[in-house]
Amino acid sequence: MAIGSILVSVGISVGFLLCTGLILALLLILAEKKILNYGTCCIDVNEGEKKLQVPGGGSLLSSLAENEIFIPSACGGRGTCAYCKVQVIEGGSMISPVEEPYLGPEERKNQVRLSCQVKVRKDIKIRVPKELLSVKKYRGKLLSKRPLTYDIVELRIELLEPKTIDFVAGLYVQLESEEYDGHDRVMRAYSMSSTPSDKNHIELMVRKVPNGICTTWVFEHLKEGQEVVFSGPHGKFHLSNTDAEIIFIAGGSGMAPIWGILRDIKEKGNTRKATYFFGALTQKDLFFVDELTKLQQEVSWFKFIPALSNEPANSDWKGARGLITDVVARYMPDCSKNEGYLCGSPGMIDACIKVLTKAGMTEDRVFYDKFV
Amino acid sequence: MKLSPEEQRLIHNLKSSKFSKEGFLGTDSRSLEEIITDDLRTLGKAGVPKELLVQALKDAYQKARNTFGAEIEIKKNVKAVFHESMGRIPSPFCKDGLFEKGEVVVTDSANNLSLIITSLGINLIEKHDFFQGRGCRFRIDPVVAIKIFKLLPGR
Repeated sequence: MAIGSILVSVGISVGFLLCTGLILALLLILAEKKILNYGTCCIDVNEGEKKLQVPGGGSLLSSLAENEIFIPSACGGRGTCAYCKVQVIEGGSMISPVEEPYLGPEERKNQVRLSCQVKVRKDIKIRVPKELLSVKKYRGKLLSKRPLTYDIVELRIELLEPKTIDFVAGLYVQLESEEYDGHDRVMRAYSMSSTPSDKNHIELMVRKVPNGICTTWVFEHLKEGQEVVFSGPHGKFHLSNTDAEIIFIAGGSGMAPIWGILRDIKEKGNTRKATYFFGALTQKDLFFVDELTKLQQEVSWFKFIPALSNEPANSDWKGARGLITDVVARYMPDCSKNEGYLCGSPGMIDACIKVLTKAGMTEDRVFYDKFV
Repeated sequence: MKLSPEEQRLIHNLKSSKFSKEGFLGTDSRSLEEIITDDLRTLGKAGVPKELLVQALKDAYQKARNTFGAEIEIKKNVKAVFHESMGRIPSPFCKDGLFEKGEVVVTDSANNLSLIITSLGINLIEKHDFFQGRGCRFRIDPVVAIKIFKLLPGR
């Protein structure tokens, strides 16, 4: 009898607690809808160039993406890559602790913010680079994944929706990985190696980074025939409209934009002289040598100089040897009339800028795509 | 003891967070203060000034970074190679700056020891006396570092 009444009491108590919890949760949801309802907010982009009506409460980055304005972001809005910077002229909240380390004094003065950390809670005015307004999100199908070296693959992607892309050779896209092994989706930037004339496809070169979330997905999970998502075109790395002789310098997957630019200028009947220094460790790190050597034989304006820094002295390699910076310094003692186009690791770019400026090239004539 | 908002943020940032998937404490059950005190004591017992260790780390990092991925010998039986990586990572300490994500793997084949040096890791030791927790991939264990770089007391 006593045990029975205890069980009934426990049952009633548990039931009461459950009901109270459910009612409280319901009240919280209702309160959030009523109290935290920011209504519809207006995002004014570039002084009225676009005016977007969005539901309040979301992040600026996602609100813009829902309206087909794709700000570059590598971390998917987690506040770790600092790529999604925009100017918030009006309506931005206080700088969040997540943003603090990423904003320099000049950026703070210019009201630059990480768009993933700015909440749209009222009307907001922003400024973004004009070229970002033409960036689109694409769905494509991986046609081929071709190994170029032991750690670099070339992806050829057919566009499904939209079916065509317009871009200038040298620009990049943001490829989105899928979730795998507990890793969230991430976006990573890869330069297009394809030519703008092939509007239905893009080609990318992806180098495997140890423990890299996106590159591991590309190498180990992405299969031919699979759908992929990317946004683009992004970036400012493209040829200038001058007649200056060109020095291209690249290493590893930094080949991608240069390969695209070279094929593009060949198609367009280029006459600008160009010398391409491609740095690698050993012969097994080289690729597209036959294609670039063939291009050198076909046209008078192009010279290709692959250079190896770690090739065994007794190997059959007949080309240039040494660090790419030393090789450039040897071949180009006077760069005062040249323009430099660099793509590679930050260390390589820093060192190459020093070599080129020492040889007389002014910094405003050095263009680069740094992997940072 | 009540922690200031800044201290709370630091503790949050040191664990697996937006800043670092792995976090900075690894599997270490000690507090930040204990890790710092123990590692400084280890350095002190060995008679090696922190500045000397930091300089050795900086030299190894820079030498490897300058060879664009080629493995180099920085001391007898000690090799270093730079692995580039896209992006930057902020320090878990507030307003401490952004650091490139590239890492230098140092291996001492004679003693079968290895270390991973990053620009953030060097900064954490130099500015905050923080060598990172045990079990953390990027921990610079003072004992291991002293052996690898063959650092001598007081020099």
